[in-house]
Amino acid sequence: MRTRIIAKLDVKPPFVVKPVHFEGLRKIGLPANLAKKYYEQGADEVMYIDIVASLYQREILFSEIEQTANELFIPFGVGGGVKTIDDFSRLFHAGADKVVINTYAVQENPNIINQAAEIFGNQAIVVNIEAKRWDNGWECYTDCGRIQSGKDVIAWAKEVEQRGAGEILLQSVDYDGRQRGFDLELAKCVVEAVTIPVVVTSGAGKLEEIKELIDYAAPSGVAIASLLHYDKYTIQDIKAYLRNNGIEVSK
Amino acid sequence: MSQLIGLINYGIAGNIHSIKKAIEKAGGTVKIVHSKEELESVEKIVIPGVGSFKDAMKELENAGLLEALKDAMGTKPTLGICLGMQILSSLGFEYGKTAGLNVINAEVKPMLVNAKVPHMGFNAIKIIKPNRLLFGLENEEFYFMHSYEVVNYTDITALTDYAGHQFVSAIQKDNLYGVQFHPEKSRDAGIQLFKNFIAL
Repeated sequence: MRTRIIAKLDVKPPFVVKPVHFEGLRKIGLPANLAKKYYEQGADEVMYIDIVASLYQREILFSEIEQTANELFIPFGVGGGVKTIDDFSRLFHAGADKVVINTYAVQENPNIINQAAEIFGNQAIVVNIEAKRWDNGWECYTDCGRIQSGKDVIAWAKEVEQRGAGEILLQSVDYDGRQRGFDLELAKCVVEAVTIPVVVTSGAGKLEEIKELIDYAAPSGVAIASLLHYDKYTIQDIKAYLRNNGIEVSK
Repeated sequence: MSQLIGLINYGIAGNIHSIKKAIEKAGGTVKIVHSKEELESVEKIVIPGVGSFKDAMKELENAGLLEALKDAMGTKPTLGICLGMQILSSLGFEYGKTAGLNVINAEVKPMLVNAKVPHMGFNAIKIIKPNRLLFGLENEEFYFMHSYEVVNYTDITALTDYAGHQFVSAIQKDNLYGVQFHPEKSRDAGIQLFKNFIAL
């Protein structure tokens, strides 16, 4: 089984930004340019998350999505501020292959997951979980780690699977943007709690840490942002390292 | 001469935009087909598919395309992609039991595998019966994104291994072709497959 290596773009339109621990933002570049760059480097997928759409209660920018999708011949996931079946539909028409939902499903209407899965197929529905450590487990957050939900991450992961999500994008509020490694326990617990694929993000600082995550938690994919944005490594570098260390990845 | 490839547009589901882009990149000209009349003007047909088996069949019927499509497929080379391949079968089991286009003797069932489902990501194909569509693509990797698989024994052209489970990743019967993966999401190998389809 080839572990997917995914390039993740956190977008505060019009720029891809790098949130540091979900707070400070650094501008990195334009989404269309970066998507193309990571595609050419060999990314298995590109994920585009509008990190402020939900917070500012405004719509996703469809023209930006379309522009970014144009040069990609790999799957393109899009999320941020998704609330209605019409949002899903418009994003698919703008070139998204998967749509990522978080805030609205957690805070207001988890049933949107069921509806979307029945119409678009569960493979196209990704639920983003932002997890922060609490007591003996983790709590779900929304709006990029700003708002607590009171929901337990493991219970919510099982619930979204039940409701028809095809994949989980798992973020750690504690580890995101710090480049000091992943929350390995979180990853392992969520991967083991569900039968759908789990893509883990937040924390890659060194190649060794990506290998450690895959060995320990066996996620279906790893989504990478900072490591790529600062040209510390290319996707080829990451894949070559993993391959040389016995982890199966695509060409 | 650039031939006209009809891309069937049915319903709300689906990102047909990316298939159009990939066919154009491979040198083809695409006409989006919404009706029986539009189907007549094209030389080849591509059936995309995102959504569920049940919805797809319902939408084809609502668009008045069901019978027309079956007729056209008799003479025009046709490529079904993912769900577009699955609906060529007799019967599907997604959200209840639904009759398919019934042009390939197959059923579509949930993947029974001891691994994560949906099967999502790049995986290699093993060609069982070489044909012009898959020419030059032995062991190439393609992007898969599915929870159901086609169960067929007579028309298999390629198999794929997922966690020790072999499933049908490509079929052909006369001028009907189907691929379980998404060539439009599979980099250069996918573009090559569209080139092969154009060259048929």
